[in-house]
Amino acid sequence: MEILGPVLVAGITTGALYALATIGLSLVWGALGMLNMAHGALLTIGGYAAFTLATLLGAPWPVAVLAPVAVGALIGAAIYLLVAQPLLARAPRSFETNVIIATFGVAIALENAVLLIFGGQPFGQSIALPGHLQAGGIFVPWQNVLIVAVVLVLMAATAFFLARTRAGRAIRATAQHREAAQLLGVPVGRVYLQVLALSGGIAGTCGLLVSSITQLSPTLGADPMLKAFIMCVVAGLGNLPGAIGAAFVLALIEAFASYGLGARWGFPLLLAIVILVLIWRPDGLFGRAAVRRL
Amino acid sequence: MAEAALAIEGLVTGYDRRDVLAGISLDLAEGALVTVVGPNGHGKTTLLRAISGLLPTRKGVIRLFGRKLAGLAPHQVAAAGVVHVPQGDLLFPQMSVHENLLMGAYLETDQAVIRRRLEEVEALLPRLAERRDQLASSLSGGERRMVGIGRGLMMGGRVMLIDEPSLGLAPIIIEQVYEVIARLKASGRTILLVEENPARVADLADAIHLLDNGRIVWSGPPHDLLERDELLETYLGG
Ligand SMILES: Nc1ncnc2c1ncn2[C@@H]1O[C@H](COP(=O)(O)OP(=O)(O)OP(=O)(O)O)[C@@H](O)[C@H]1O
Ligand SMILES: [Mg+2]
Repeated sequence: MEILGPVLVAGITTGALYALATIGLSLVWGALGMLNMAHGALLTIGGYAAFTLATLLGAPWPVAVLAPVAVGALIGAAIYLLVAQPLLARAPRSFETNVIIATFGVAIALENAVLLIFGGQPFGQSIALPGHLQAGGIFVPWQNVLIVAVVLVLMAATAFFLARTRAGRAIRATAQHREAAQLLGVPVGRVYLQVLALSGGIAGTCGLLVSSITQLSPTLGADPMLKAFIMCVVAGLGNLPGAIGAAFVLALIEAFASYGLGARWGFPLLLAIVILVLIWRPDGLFGRAAVRRL
Repeated sequence: MAEAALAIEGLVTGYDRRDVLAGISLDLAEGALVTVVGPNGHGKTTLLRAISGLLPTRKGVIRLFGRKLAGLAPHQVAAAGVVHVPQGDLLFPQMSVHENLLMGAYLETDQAVIRRRLEEVEALLPRLAERRDQLASSLSGGERRMVGIGRGLMMGGRVMLIDEPSLGLAPIIIEQVYEVIARLKASGRTILLVEENPARVADLADAIHLLDNGRIVWSGPPHDLLERDELLETYLGG
């Protein structure tokens, strides 16, 4: 138990972070059929935005914490306006492939912008809770508790927004039947803009959380983005609850495999599981029938 | 003459490089029910899609109470008061009946108005009240059609475009659907209705237009069309 405790804590914390990265990715996929390859870069920039305000400019932490939300939302909106919208307008039929390539380009540009401005050396994120909690012989750093709590709150808020509010319902309607939504008066362009901004804001926050337990580097978002993509594929693209569940399960498997078999085995084992799942169920664990476009 | 609720003049539109409609003109007086009939694939749905802005017009004008609709996006046409109940319902499958209806009132922000419309719609279509929390994807074909119509009514517009409301339904359900449409007409709504079978609207329609190959080839009262065997034979397969 003494040894497994930290592994469990690490697994749950990374699971929460993967889940949060997955929400942003899955929202955009579900609503627009857009695989946003720049999602990882938004995480990175979120981490640096908080670092810039808190460490470089000495802003108070409530301001620094909101910076990733604002910057992520702004860049998310810009990606829609400058990249996705023109592609959607000019070649709707090849949008799904075009946008992958285009946002991949955006990701490279953003990552290099970070490299240019901040350099490649890692920084420590100063916004983090010190100390730890001790429960049943297990040490749980307060920062890990905070991460899981923030993720749970954000997930609940997102779910509530989608299920209960007029704007959230319009997002689901657009995802489920774009033309029908238009006929009812939904301005789908504005809905898409909101989705990208929301996803960007969540990604920025996620980046701050990731950097608080690792380090800031220009490739900060790459690993969570990759994992988020894997979760989405395992659950069936667009299946939000399934992806969140997969995030926790796979993060725990990865953590225990890394502990039991050595750090370099965590990821290969994860990929092996994914490949097996896809051979067994090519449409994802929950199958095509259960795939929800939000 | 009073201004037409909906006036279409020389409408040309289509997909890609092909024109599907080759110059359509028709008028819809306020409170009238006008039907477009015609063979499959000859542009009936295309006409309705052009009116509601899903398809840009290439030539011609569409006016709603005198106001030009050209260049408006679909959500703007909806805001102008056009209700389009599309062919095949196009419900939101992962939403309940209730949520589908609420989406119909998307443009309305006054909760009291929304509640009143819900009551009216559920009074007209009692099945919807019974199926309130059921997912749209699990409804029967007839129930889906009712949700499609109810969702349109939730918009509160007075000009309705209804595309093949009898499509794929059993005769007894078709009868129910047409009873509902008759009541909509009686309530003063202006309706442009697409139908395959002119006999179904014989007693309901004020005028009927026969659409063939993107043109209106005959217009007149429904009973006149039903007596013209040669027209029915040529265009509607008897
Ligand atoms: N999205 C589209 N892209 C390209 N062509 C289309 C599209 N939708 C319809 N068409 C073509 O336009 C023509 C008219 O189709 P439309 O749907 O208007 O016919 P319709 O009279 O409503 O037929 P039905 O009675 O079967 O509903 C058809 O030849 C059809 O193939
Ligand atoms: Mg049609």
